[in-house]
Amino acid sequence: MIRKSGWLVFIVFVGALLALVYLLAGPAIRVGMVYSLEKAVGAEVNIDKVSLQLAPLAVRINNLQITDAAKPSHNSVSFGHASAALEVWPALLGYYVINELTVDDLHYGAERASQGDVYRQPAANGEKVDLAQLLQVDLPDADELIARANLQTPAKAEALKQLALNEQQQLKQLQQQLPGKDALAQYQSEIKALTDSKITNATDLAAKAQQLQQLKDKLTAEKASLEQITQQLSQSKTALSQAVAELKAASKADYAKVQQLANLSDGGLAGISQILLGELWGERISQLQSLYLLAKPYLPDSLPQGGTNSPAEPEVVLPNRILPLPTQPYPDFWIKTARINWQLGGGEATIALKDITAQHQLINRATQFSLDVKQLPQLAAFSLNGDFAILEQMVTNLNWQLDGLNLQPMTLGHGDTAMDLVAGLLSSSGKLSLTDNQIAQQANVVLKAANFNSSANKYLQQLAGLLNQQQQIPFSIAATGLVSAPDVSIRSSLDKLLGDALLGEAKQKVAAYQAELQSKLNSQLQSGLAGQQDWAALLTQQDSQVSDISASIDTMLDAKLADVKDQAKDKLKDRLLKKLDTKKSDENNDSN
Amino acid sequence: MLTLVAKILKVLNSQASPWQIGWAIALGLFVGILPFGLLTLLIVLVVCLLTINLSTFIVVWGLTEGLMLLFAAPLERLTWQYAQNDSLLQLLANTETLQLLHLHHTLTLGAFLLGAILLLPIAWLSKTLVMQYRTRVMNSVQQWKIMQMLKASKLFDLYEKLN
Repeated sequence: MIRKSGWLVFIVFVGALLALVYLLAGPAIRVGMVYSLEKAVGAEVNIDKVSLQLAPLAVRINNLQITDAAKPSHNSVSFGHASAALEVWPALLGYYVINELTVDDLHYGAERASQGDVYRQPAANGEKVDLAQLLQVDLPDADELIARANLQTPAKAEALKQLALNEQQQLKQLQQQLPGKDALAQYQSEIKALTDSKITNATDLAAKAQQLQQLKDKLTAEKASLEQITQQLSQSKTALSQAVAELKAASKADYAKVQQLANLSDGGLAGISQILLGELWGERISQLQSLYLLAKPYLPDSLPQGGTNSPAEPEVVLPNRILPLPTQPYPDFWIKTARINWQLGGGEATIALKDITAQHQLINRATQFSLDVKQLPQLAAFSLNGDFAILEQMVTNLNWQLDGLNLQPMTLGHGDTAMDLVAGLLSSSGKLSLTDNQIAQQANVVLKAANFNSSANKYLQQLAGLLNQQQQIPFSIAATGLVSAPDVSIRSSLDKLLGDALLGEAKQKVAAYQAELQSKLNSQLQSGLAGQQDWAALLTQQDSQVSDISASIDTMLDAKLADVKDQAKDKLKDRLLKKLDTKKSDENNDSN
Repeated sequence: MLTLVAKILKVLNSQASPWQIGWAIALGLFVGILPFGLLTLLIVLVVCLLTINLSTFIVVWGLTEGLMLLFAAPLERLTWQYAQNDSLLQLLANTETLQLLHLHHTLTLGAFLLGAILLLPIAWLSKTLVMQYRTRVMNSVQQWKIMQMLKASKLFDLYEKLN
């Protein structure tokens, strides 16, 4: 049962295997990398050589080039040499712990010796942060500024107009319900006819009393509807006067807002720089959302992800290479130190990273990174450092210092509001903290030696002149809140200067707009309110007339009923007297 | 391909014990479904030390490696789904030897369990089939025209050489 030569066979087998691995691992890794990278980027990937070193265990890659799918004559990324030294024991356990990763001669966008093949056209990518685009500012014209100032008057004016229209329609309907002069005269004549007529007997009395009662009922109904109309009118009057008051208040507030906008003071309304740059900076900041989304799958489940309150949907969990052990000796991957030497724009940048992993709780440290750029033709110095950790929350801290970025000539705005920036040096320092999707950022940006060329617009000419006189134009930028929709505040000590110049045109337009609006509204109001007053007066008059009529009807009815009774009494008295006289004469005749 | 068929025929028609062939098939299958690692080397050592038929083992290993290109992904998904057991994960976390054998890797664990479950039945079934072949089929196969043709071909020369 036991093979005597078993050990020998096994040793030969393992030896042959190791030799095979040593000889073929490099080419195999190279083929695997080219295949995976080409699949990922959709363009030709070239690797000259991949070699495996056994002691210490390391992989070395020579001359990697990844074609830029959007521009096949250039590489998106390329480097001369890269090496990764792997720790053996963790590797035996199946964890990739890389002691040192070095990338030398890294280029971004270098030209290729020959055009690369493109297998998949790249999709338009809106996530890229482009510095030129960041500095591209569209100067708003006066109309746009008015729009951004969020004036309330037009809305209130429209509301009042609508209300006045509705009330006028109601008034017309009410007018039709009112008793006309003819109807009132008819009532009067009928009453007069009844009161002037003579009552012949009891039946006649009853009939006329009934007629009088009917007339009285009709008049009472008319009176009730009149009261209702008066009440409705009163309500309309209140609503209209309230809307007028609101419009006047809004107009006043807007005027104050525009004034404040034009005469900026510290602590007042958002400055002109906020209006110019606020939205733009907010958009740029929100691009950091992609960083959060990248790390989101690694965040613990107990954390609120994305701040949404939508009900939890069952997520499809894809199998991981390693099972989720309660404790594990190493992270799935961990690069202890990495150094990248980046050649860019005629200069050199050094990126140093420590402890790159997505499982920071296992090493109890944050990933640290720093970038140093010096003496580029277009940039004096740039340094950036920070740390990043996914623990109970994803926390990123970032500090930067940028000096002397030589700005390329650019045009700000377009058309009438175009202004050319011919030259300028940009410096900036700041810090940023991102906790999950909450951002807190503070930055100072200074534009030095700026040279602006003005357009035909006289306000921009004035602005360019003012800006050119400044030795430096400082901005202080703060952003807080959700990274996808940050609350951005931008201040500049030049806000008042900029405001006076830029808002000059806007101020005039606002004033003209207000005057026009005011006159229009006034005429509308006057017609609406005048009509309303006429109606109110008419109704009051009619109301008093009806009251008079009603009172006179009551009096007349009372008076007539009293006369009828007297008439009846007189008639009875006459009859009795007559009867008495006849009886007396008969008695006298009998005694004679 | 001809060499492969010749090897199989040689083994089936040889004096090798059916159990040796059965275990070779079962262990070849086991090692074939496992991702390469320490476990693979351990199984190879067992095969080398015991008188298990090496030719059959290597042929089955190669064939199963090919099959795993199709079945690795479903097996990995299945293991991930059923391995979320606290005591199992705790055991794997606390035992470095198991980690050294890569049993905390989803696919390795799944393949190891599947191989271990199939080992005995496959060995027994293979042994039975070899015995059945030798008693019932081998003689008639020798009489088939196709076998005569094969004997007259290059294959027969090869077969003879191997013998």
